[in-house]
Amino acid sequence: MSTANTGDDVRVKSTRAEPMTVMLGRYSALFLLVGFLVLFGFLRPEVFLTQTTFRATLSSGVVTAILALAFLVPLTAGAFDLSVGTMMGLSLVIMNWFGTNHKSVPIALVCVGAVLICAVVGLISGIMVVRFKVNSLIATLGVSQVLTAIELKISNNRQMTGAFSEGFQNWGNRSIFGVPIVVMYLLVLALIIWFVLEHTPAGRYLFAVGGNPEAARLAGINANRLTYGSLVASGAVAGLAGVVYSMKVGVFSVDSGPGLLFPALAAVFFGASQFSRRPNVWGTLVAYFALAFGVRGLQLTFGPGTFWIEPMFQGVTLLIAVALASRTIGSTRKSRRQQLEVTAQQTAPVTA
Amino acid sequence: MAGAVAIEVRGLSKTFSGQTVLNNLDLSVDEGEIHALVGQNGSGKSTLIKVLAGYHAPDPGGSAEVFGQTLQLGSALDSHVRGLRFMHQDLGLVLTLSSVENLMLGRRYPTGLAGRIRWSEAERITREAARRADLEIDVRRPVGELGLADRTRLAIARSLPERADERVLLVLDEPTAALPTRDVERLFATLRRLKQQGHSIVIVSHHLDEVLGIADSITVLRDGVKVARVKTDEIDTDRLTRLIVGREVLRATRSVTPADVSRESVARIENLAGGTVREFSTVIGGGEIVGVAGLAGSGRELLGPLLTGRLDRRGTVRVRERVVAAGSPSSALSSGLVSVSGERARYGVFPNLGVRQNLTIGALRPHVRWGRIATEAERQETRSWVKRLSIVTRGPDAPMTSLSGGNQQKVLIARALRLEPHVMVLDDPTAGVDVGAREQVHSIIEHGLSDSMGILLISTDSEELVRLCDRVLIMSKGWIVDELHRGSDLTAQNIDHAQVAGRGARTPDAPTRIEPARNPSNQENLA
Repeated sequence: MSTANTGDDVRVKSTRAEPMTVMLGRYSALFLLVGFLVLFGFLRPEVFLTQTTFRATLSSGVVTAILALAFLVPLTAGAFDLSVGTMMGLSLVIMNWFGTNHKSVPIALVCVGAVLICAVVGLISGIMVVRFKVNSLIATLGVSQVLTAIELKISNNRQMTGAFSEGFQNWGNRSIFGVPIVVMYLLVLALIIWFVLEHTPAGRYLFAVGGNPEAARLAGINANRLTYGSLVASGAVAGLAGVVYSMKVGVFSVDSGPGLLFPALAAVFFGASQFSRRPNVWGTLVAYFALAFGVRGLQLTFGPGTFWIEPMFQGVTLLIAVALASRTIGSTRKSRRQQLEVTAQQTAPVTA
Repeated sequence: MAGAVAIEVRGLSKTFSGQTVLNNLDLSVDEGEIHALVGQNGSGKSTLIKVLAGYHAPDPGGSAEVFGQTLQLGSALDSHVRGLRFMHQDLGLVLTLSSVENLMLGRRYPTGLAGRIRWSEAERITREAARRADLEIDVRRPVGELGLADRTRLAIARSLPERADERVLLVLDEPTAALPTRDVERLFATLRRLKQQGHSIVIVSHHLDEVLGIADSITVLRDGVKVARVKTDEIDTDRLTRLIVGREVLRATRSVTPADVSRESVARIENLAGGTVREFSTVIGGGEIVGVAGLAGSGRELLGPLLTGRLDRRGTVRVRERVVAAGSPSSALSSGLVSVSGERARYGVFPNLGVRQNLTIGALRPHVRWGRIATEAERQETRSWVKRLSIVTRGPDAPMTSLSGGNQQKVLIARALRLEPHVMVLDDPTAGVDVGAREQVHSIIEHGLSDSMGILLISTDSEELVRLCDRVLIMSKGWIVDELHRGSDLTAQNIDHAQVAGRGARTPDAPTRIEPARNPSNQENLA
């Protein structure tokens, strides 16, 4: 274990092993993922254990996973951004509008513009939350409805097909070394966000604000600036999800963004119970793909009549997994006993 | 009904995990009298009240009678049925609800058809109850819009019985702690009127002049024992103070210490004010530990928040000639003023982070390389602090919440010390910390002190102040009323006596200004 002490100080040695159930909870998403692969690999080896299945499951999950990362960033600072779904829709509708009406504008410029506009929307949410002290849940819900209206107006409530060039769509459907390229995008983005959250002062401060805002302020941390920053980042990442979606699929409809909101949120909350037990990048991704492979396996095993299985499965797994992972140290009988022993050890040298 | 007894408690004891808090205590209050319960912090007043309220069950053996009927000790329901009513210091009002809704929290709403609340009737009941507590307000407005004095009256109104002819014993815990002087007088007028209506009142207060002004008789508690029960007209402030503190107080004549000109001051606090703090000025020298003592409500509690920027303030604070902006923790930190609060969970600990992250949060710069936090260097530094301050932890990356309170506090002190501050404000740093950890925190404070740093130690623990401080400022009613010096008159008894007596506090218009001393005496005593 990385936390193992070098033993240079005797007092530090009072170790307390995690009880089994707590440990299982922390890695439940990983066990779930492996379990599904084994189970469905055993049940339907000929269709489940194929390159096609793996590639399809991975690449179709990328957009939702990016959206989950967008939700994750402000959540670390304790802010909920429910507008990530509609922000992705906004980015998508902008891409399609230019694709249909202004073909002359370079597509790369449109992509950057769409991401920037979403970042500005994030800034507006930030103003609502910081300046006007609106609860982030309510502020982003409101922003989300306004965005829906804008999308309806631009698209005239119709599906839009941007008629993107083949070259552009190629960026979304190619494979490198057999891995869909969009999975690479996801990995790069995840690496960047992981680095910022876990290895830079900014990430450290975000978690501090999320953990105890008052203590963060007293420690000299500018919580307002961090809230702005995290919501802007969330907007930009959601905009990016829209760009990737237009590369892959391209078609806009009003519910294409919001439809992905629940699976994305479920992955973040499930993931927040994993590994370090706070919102984290790898927990989110593992949680999301564990669910995705589970759904895929069920559909392949029980046939086309199981269209209802996805939300059912996501809901039930989220409930069970998070309930299991909420068993922290101190909530099981064994860990309480251990805690008493440690306290006894601590007080012993003092009274001696 | 003259001569009848409202409450008669006999032989009450209460032990918490081997520690006796109340010892064979008697209490007797006549019907229709105002009785005061006085004693120092930790003398057992609040425990006694909590036992009577049924919140704690006492040790077996004690008994109590209320209005002639046996009270089943430890039962909140029975306590209410027998006619005991309690009003706690925080009043227990819901500020977003209206007066009617607050009053009805403890009663049954008058209802009509299909369980509909008859609001006009509820308002009438509320107005009637409010009138009995001298309160004239629009009962439909939210309680948050009322001033503190009116809120107190509403809380009293709520504890009065529904039927006007019913008599109760009203127990008020520190009702005046947060009230301005003129509101205290008005509140007392209300209490006298309630007494005329036949109610009995027990009032807990730290302010002896107030107690002597309102109470008919007084029970003095000390270390869980009843020391005396006296009639108010047979006692004066001095004798009462002596009863409370329990020791003959001999004030040593202050020996004049020569001004130490070589020691430069690290912080100057001038006319600091805000909340209950009326005026606080002092100069802290390098290598000096200045203590602040004061009872609840003296302004002592707010001093830390005002200095560290958690609350807005008036007056100037300079740290090495740099002016600290009011209400800004980051300005305080960047000028070299750091703080550690005894309320760890609220103001210090990040429960979602590990020991390492909690310790280094104040300054990450030393560990940042190319924008990345060098985790191993950070871990190394954490280990050295863990070792230096004897922090008991599973390792540098253990969750902060897995540490005991004392060890969490040591992490927070390490967080402050590693910023190499000019001034450290310690606000009750050993609150809720066990005896062993308290010792360790004390030695950390002693050893952490250097000539370039000064410490302001705000504490409720007189022994702690005596052990660590060069001089101790005593606060009462928002003013500094006394100053005790090491080597002459700094003893725990004197601190206790000064804060109970509140010397000079009775004339807030012409307060006894103690000139800030800049001459911390014999540093050798620290070692």
